Amino acid sequence: MTTTSAPVASSDLARTEEYIRRVRERVGTVVVGQDVVVERLLIALFSGGHLLLQGVPGLAKTLLVSTLSKSIDLGFARVQFTIDLLPSDILGSEVLDQRTNEFRVRKGPTFTNLLLADEINRAAPKVQGALLEAMQERKVTIGTETFRLPAPFLVIATQNPVEQAGTFELPEAQLDRFMLVHRLDYPSADEEREVLRRNAALGIQRQDKGAIVQTEFDVLDSRPVGSVSEIVAAMEAVNSIHVSDTFIDHVVEVVHRTRAHPDVELGCSPRAGISLIKASRARALMHGRSYVIPEDLYALAEDALLHRMRLKYGSIAEGKTGRQVLDEVLRSMGGEARA
Amino acid sequence: MRLQVAACALVLGMLGAAASATGTHGDSAQWRGPQGEAQAPRSPSGTPPSVGMPARWNDIVLSGTELVAVSADRKAPLALRIVAARAHGDAFRYDFEYWGLEPGAHDLRSLLQRRDGSSIADLPELRVEIRSVLTTEGAPLPNAPRPAELPSLGGYTTLLVAGAVVWVAGLIALLVVRRRRRAAELATQPRVRSLAERLQPLVERAMRGELAREERAQLELSLVALWRRRLGLEETRPAEVLVQLRAHPEAGPLLQKLEEWLHRPDARGAAEIPALLAPYRALREDELDGPKGAR
Repeated sequence: MTTTSAPVASSDLARTEEYIRRVRERVGTVVVGQDVVVERLLIALFSGGHLLLQGVPGLAKTLLVSTLSKSIDLGFARVQFTIDLLPSDILGSEVLDQRTNEFRVRKGPTFTNLLLADEINRAAPKVQGALLEAMQERKVTIGTETFRLPAPFLVIATQNPVEQAGTFELPEAQLDRFMLVHRLDYPSADEEREVLRRNAALGIQRQDKGAIVQTEFDVLDSRPVGSVSEIVAAMEAVNSIHVSDTFIDHVVEVVHRTRAHPDVELGCSPRAGISLIKASRARALMHGRSYVIPEDLYALAEDALLHRMRLKYGSIAEGKTGRQVLDEVLRSMGGEARA
Repeated sequence: MRLQVAACALVLGMLGAAASATGTHGDSAQWRGPQGEAQAPRSPSGTPPSVGMPARWNDIVLSGTELVAVSADRKAPLALRIVAARAHGDAFRYDFEYWGLEPGAHDLRSLLQRRDGSSIADLPELRVEIRSVLTTEGAPLPNAPRPAELPSLGGYTTLLVAGAVVWVAGLIALLVVRRRRRAAELATQPRVRSLAERLQPLVERAMRGELAREERAQLELSLVALWRRRLGLEETRPAEVLVQLRAHPEAGPLLQKLEEWLHRPDARGAAEIPALLAPYRALREDELDGPKGAR
């Protein structure tokens, strides 16, 4: 195992930028107007974190992840989380081989590079816990054997924030395992027009003697736009993005201010700061910089910090939201510290 | 066999008891008292009927036109029903049934009237006696009321008023104490410096190249805060503020140079910093919003 922290060369930077551009272009041929989400997906991939996408149904979360997986030439598996799912359904189990009369390991869908955990909050807490443990440790124990998960390993989970009946809300400790939680918004009117235009252009696909109406999933180009080595290069490039002491001071200040805010019961953990710096480095790379700047912090603060804050009941009762409180924290940056 | 005999004896006994309870004296003819007044015959045992039990007085011949029973009101001590009225020469022969509701002697005339409405003054006294089965000795009596004792504080109302006074006094005391404590805290707290007061020493030191590491972060964020205020972006989401500031013709170059100085690994542009910061050297609070039209 080797670690990389050498300064990124400008040629490597240019190559990585070109690779990211190709991935974005490919995703853009299928998914309309989700540039920020694509950026967050690549940030998570390049910085080795996991991503939780929160959004109402119909915002192309699954299509986006499927398109990305096909574009970047990585193993992909999708698990639809349901109430009756068992940990062995995702991790794997030992099965009896009747030919040899011995148990052999059947690996679950977790053994892939890119795992889409669709509607993660529908599964029972023991299944969520099993997956989150695998996410954290990047290894899985089946029976008495421990297996290392493939590298890179990225979990992209989705969650519907509106429909809560029959779901198990992820507690703060488990949400903390996700480097970023991105909240998807509805597309703009122009973007929605383009979505409808593209959908109307889909045809009929003949299959055996019958035919099916095509969906966006049927027109995905399965040829990748880059290789795994380019992803590794991008990960190395992210790791060599410069983080100044001033930027670290900014991150420490914002994290401390979340803990001191009068409306916050539980502020951000040190892991929040680590995630923010990791994600900022990946964002800097994607914006063609070899160093992070405050804009990266402000752009990623909501995704990296908001799910790690818990408001006081009194503040929630007054109608305050986590987003409002975080905005207050960010606006107060540089001002006098609270007593 | 012995069981059947016992059952027959029990039935006969019950029938006999029922007959005696109704107080029927159908075979008795008109009976008069010592003064010649009509009197209800007593039961075979010689005791008058008790309260609530029916009694019969049969074959009483009363002169005059036919009599009918008056409907008894709720307060009447007696209820009377004429079971039969038969002509008896110029008079009528009656069978009465009555229930006593109050113990004592009563006159049945109070419950009779002529069918034709004529007077009943010519009727003899029809006296019946009703006995009470309750003894006057040992009857349950209500408890005698005891005089109430006044509470020590002078009554419930006084207690409530005293409680309210104590509560209000406590509230006022609490508010006063909190206010004094808050005032004391404010007095001991260092005064919150304004943005201009915070920015000025940072700019001075930056221009002299004496800015400490932790002060660099303060300088950068203070300048962001200054331009956010100057461009009226206080309500804009912080993530969008920096994008807008970087695009601004005056704030953009300043922030970009600061970023290059503070965040680039080679700290490029340090020589240009004094000139860039010169306009922010001696800003007063009223100058923070900048010249008109800065927005």
